Amino acid sequence: MKIIYLTIAAGVLVLTAWNLWTEKDWRKQATAAMVAVPLLLRVLLIK
Amino acid sequence: MQKHHISAVIISILMLAACVVAGVTFLEHRKVEPIVRGPGVTEIVKLSKWYPGLEGTAADTDVYIFKGEAPGGSMLVLGGTHPNEPSGFLSAVLLIENATMASGTLYVIPRANNSGFSHNDPQEGAPTGYHFTLSDGSTRFFRYGSRATNPIHQWPDPDVYVHAASGQTLSGNETRNLNRGYPGRTDGTLTEKACYGITQMILAEKIGLSVDLHEASPEYPVINAIVAHERAMPVASQVVLGLEFSDITIGLEPSPKNLRGLTHRELGDATDTLAVLMETANPSQGRLRGRTDEALALEGKDLYYIKAQQLGRLYVPFDEKGHSIEERVGRHLSALIEFAFAMSSEYPDQPIEINGIPAYDELQQAGLGAYLRPLQ
Amino acid sequence: MPFEFILFIAMVGVFVVCAFAIKLPVSLSMLAASVAGLLVSGNGLGIRHLVEGTFGYVDTILVIATAMIFMRAVQESGALDALNIVIIKRFKSIPALLLPMLMLVAMFPGMITGSSSASVLTAGAVVAPVLILLGLPVAKAGAFIALAGILGMIAPPVNIPAMIIGGGIDMPFVGFELPLLLLTIPPAIVFALVLGLKHVKKVSWEEIAPKLEVETYKRYGPRLFIPILVVATLMVLGKTVPKYFGMGLPLMFLIGAALALFAGKRFNPLVAAKAAVADALPVLGILAGVGMFIQVMTLTGVRGFIVVNALSVPPVMLYVAIAVTIPLFGAVSSFGASSVLGVPFLLALLGKNQIVTAAALSLIASLGDFMPPTALSAIFAAQVVGIKKYSKVLKYLIIPSIVILAWALVFIAYSKQIAALY
Ligand SMILES: [Zn+2]
Repeated sequence: MKIIYLTIAAGVLVLTAWNLWTEKDWRKQATAAMVAVPLLLRVLLIK
Repeated sequence: MQKHHISAVIISILMLAACVVAGVTFLEHRKVEPIVRGPGVTEIVKLSKWYPGLEGTAADTDVYIFKGEAPGGSMLVLGGTHPNEPSGFLSAVLLIENATMASGTLYVIPRANNSGFSHNDPQEGAPTGYHFTLSDGSTRFFRYGSRATNPIHQWPDPDVYVHAASGQTLSGNETRNLNRGYPGRTDGTLTEKACYGITQMILAEKIGLSVDLHEASPEYPVINAIVAHERAMPVASQVVLGLEFSDITIGLEPSPKNLRGLTHRELGDATDTLAVLMETANPSQGRLRGRTDEALALEGKDLYYIKAQQLGRLYVPFDEKGHSIEERVGRHLSALIEFAFAMSSEYPDQPIEINGIPAYDELQQAGLGAYLRPLQ
Repeated sequence: MPFEFILFIAMVGVFVVCAFAIKLPVSLSMLAASVAGLLVSGNGLGIRHLVEGTFGYVDTILVIATAMIFMRAVQESGALDALNIVIIKRFKSIPALLLPMLMLVAMFPGMITGSSSASVLTAGAVVAPVLILLGLPVAKAGAFIALAGILGMIAPPVNIPAMIIGGGIDMPFVGFELPLLLLTIPPAIVFALVLGLKHVKKVSWEEIAPKLEVETYKRYGPRLFIPILVVATLMVLGKTVPKYFGMGLPLMFLIGAALALFAGKRFNPLVAAKAAVADALPVLGILAGVGMFIQVMTLTGVRGFIVVNALSVPPVMLYVAIAVTIPLFGAVSSFGASSVLGVPFLLALLGKNQIVTAAALSLIASLGDFMPPTALSAIFAAQVVGIKKYSKVLKYLIIPSIVILAWALVFIAYSKQIAALY
């Protein structure tokens, strides 16, 4: 189950990063970055 | 490169920088602080000795064994069931570094939830650890942990935690609470496996008394108290009387029958051990506390708790003296001495005699650091 | 003046300036307020605390993101339109029955999962178009599903705020079913009728039929509904046999989304998933920001300042303090309010029936999901019905919120008499 959820988190992280890249408004980019932080650290098994 | 790509790159770099800065602290938190092997320790083994399923996992933890010079009864001390309750862990550390056994056998598990020491609870603003200055001027550092197993080791939580043996339901994050998972099982979560290991150890070693050391927030009704399984009541009442002679007031509560998964209920039901749990007052884990830092964890002084005490909202006295770590550890250690007495008088053919435990008053005067051994 | 009060004002001040004067999104305003709190309190930049705070919501972020992906997939497959047709055809003649039934349908995911967002985003998204077709103004339809969200979250069998409050005093989640039903079902029926009845009466099938997209349903038939049925079944199984189906909401939603790929109209899953996450990002960002905000409040002692002051009101004012502070604190998080204020208030209400009181406190805590700036339930409801400004939805939630508050306070005041009823 842990592997599945890490995969889900990685998926959401990729979609978030993709949106960060294509988004035109820097404020929305920054919001995406805030969401990406916990996802990234969880996927890397750091926190 | 388009303009919004430039801002995307800048924001990503900032984001990654924040991840690195925080990530370094998080990884640092996994470094296990050393505990110095004291004169009474005869053997250090892993919990996986009793349940090999724990081997190599984050839940496997050190068990310090003190074999007495003479045979006798046996006693288990669990520190660090909740790693955000420093007095339980530090009491175990002081035992390991100071205690010797004249008769009987003592088992000490300082980090009962080993994984919980490797992180902090989100949104609690807890310090990563705390320091003591020793008599020789050197310092020792210990980690302040989380109430629960690290999600890195056990994730995700279910929406609702169902206690396996009883079907009792609790909120999902309690799945990682060691003191809700007893007696544990082999096909469960990592936390339940740790519970199972401890239960197996008690069964295999026929441990006579098991004491689980905790702290509670000052607004929590069960505090400065012993919670005892019904079979442990006679011994626990002796301890209450004994502590009263030393001017330490402590409450005695029967273990509720309908609250499942806790040591004082399940270890008493699943094994022949006398199961008790003890609480001291720790404002650094409470909801009413002001600024949260290392000083609060060690000195236990807090203005908002004083205010709450004046409002009659607390279950312990609380004034500007606070509840220092020396007081809290002193209470636990004094109670352990009394438990050894009580066991020896209740079961004279199986005496438990412990020496070298710092006495309550000495601890208050000299400070806890005086009883820690310097690292080599 | 205590330093914590100054800090609190500084944090709220920075938030207000950022959100209203500089017009930053709520997420970034929360971040700025948290940084301000760290700096003023002498904690430096405190990156560790900012990052750690977000982890309080990492699971919620996954639930919301996957729920949005599932709903987007269901919508793209054509199932939503088709479902509207079926419901309206069946029940159009009896609105007095239809409205409460739609309310219960919209509450269902919240009852099973304990998440108001899951309710609003899934069943709410099914029910809202039906309500609009039946003649409800768009904003009222939003209010309808937002209410369903929080009432569903509180209704049994799963109520996470009550579990959190109970957990704080070691009370197992046992015996809550009846008080929770009494607390939620009567208001649910009343709100459904009051919001809808006067609009619904006049509608006839002939009038609304041309507005419906019937082609998809004709072409694919009931198999369109397979993803929704599977997710609903998985939710029930997850509750009843958690041993085998305790897979969690995110996985259920993704299974549903994958099935939607084959159930009806074809669509590009990657594009749909990306768009779904883009829709969710403002709210996910708010959650991350709120996580930081709570962590800094706790670290600096602002949380203790708020809690102790809430508790220090004279006993006669205790009910007022409960009614004001829990929903207000719920603005940052209803689960947070349950733990931080719900537990001390339950302890302060000694002599009451603890189960009824905890259940009522959980209902009050749920109102936090209407409270700006997070207002999760209201924001999602506005998103689902397609309104830009969620304040339009919020307008219709004020009176129901007051009713809910009063209802819950009655339960606290007469907790013993109510417990004696069953
Ligand atoms: Zn504890």
